[in-house]
Amino acid sequence: MESKQEQLINFINENFIVGRGDTTLALQADQSLLDSGIIDSTGVMELVMFIEQQYSVKIEVDELIPENLDTVNNIIRLLKTKNIN
Amino acid sequence: MKFCSKCVLPDTFPGIHFDEHGVCNYCHHSQLPDQERKQEYIRAFEDLLDSVRGKHSFDVLVAYSGGKDSTYTMYQLANKYKLNVLAFTFDNGFISEKARENIIKMSDLCGATSLIVRPPFPKLKKIFQVAATKDLYSAKTLDRASSICTTCIGHVKAIALKTAMEKNIPLVAWGWSPGQAPIASAIRHTSPQLQSISHRTVRDKILENSNELKSYFLSDEDLKIPQERWPINIHPLAFMDYDEEEIFKLIKSLGWEHPKDLDPNSTNCKLNALANYLHRERYNFHPYAWEVAGIVRAGGIPREEGVAKTTEDESMPMVKYAADVLGIDLNK
Repeated sequence: MESKQEQLINFINENFIVGRGDTTLALQADQSLLDSGIIDSTGVMELVMFIEQQYSVKIEVDELIPENLDTVNNIIRLLKTKNIN
Repeated sequence: MKFCSKCVLPDTFPGIHFDEHGVCNYCHHSQLPDQERKQEYIRAFEDLLDSVRGKHSFDVLVAYSGGKDSTYTMYQLANKYKLNVLAFTFDNGFISEKARENIIKMSDLCGATSLIVRPPFPKLKKIFQVAATKDLYSAKTLDRASSICTTCIGHVKAIALKTAMEKNIPLVAWGWSPGQAPIASAIRHTSPQLQSISHRTVRDKILENSNELKSYFLSDEDLKIPQERWPINIHPLAFMDYDEEEIFKLIKSLGWEHPKDLDPNSTNCKLNALANYLHRERYNFHPYAWEVAGIVRAGGIPREEGVAKTTEDESMPMVKYAADVLGIDLNK
């Protein structure tokens, strides 16, 4: 079974990285998704929709901040605060 | 070229792969809202409108291109929801004459105040030239729209945001089709931090190449605006019923006329054909493929029509017209 980290990296790879630019670089769990330009503003909301559906959680407005969504590790930390382990 | 059997994405689209039924991975990941979810959004939307109506100089700034979707959006907001609209139009120097007539006619019909902002064309020409010839934006951004369109919409977003803040307008409305933006962002209060990152991403690329356009964008200092002063972005077509044929029927009955001098994916802009042509030459997929795929999945147009819209060659006289205006040599 895939870990959350693998699920998130696979989703981001498939939807934002593979087939675009230099695909030899593997996405790291602590790599910034926004500053690196991997994910754009529309992409953030697509990622949020994926997280909400995949883990049956609701991400509130005040949680839509880079500290929660900018890296895979940050997302995992956010999910832990929602008791998704 | 092979296409997804469900939407319109071609096998040249970045990251695509197909299952045994020919359905693409993006269709498998797509999350279409059901009627129940749409109703939840409509209720939240109506509550939001009730909370702002009549309390400001304008209830909503509509980013109004004069095209089909923004006309429909403005009409719904003004007519059905009784909002006082400021119709903001960014004149990029390529608005079709018929679209210009539609802007005036439809703004009047909606009781909207029309605000048209036209930067000096030589300044825009310079950045459009750059956008036409260089990779300015992230690869993912270019999945969704051409470099030229992204440059133009970057100005629209920035000026809309600045204007709404200056005039204390609580809502900024967009006519994004169901394929252009996910429903999750349709009425969500976006965080200022994410808005700032989004603004800077496009702003910095434009200003690196043409700093003389900086007055149209928010500075880093401006972006430190307190959260309560940020307007809420709304794009109601994400949860309203979206049927392209019905939308055309309605707005034509109101007096909107279809410009004839444009490519099949635009109802207002004479630069679009060149933008599409250059994107296809460079990336080998149509810059509207992602959006049209989303509209097809949402049932807004039949798949065959979507495939036609994203495979039909651009009219070369239209491509050459825009290239000549911008001084771009298509043979290079």
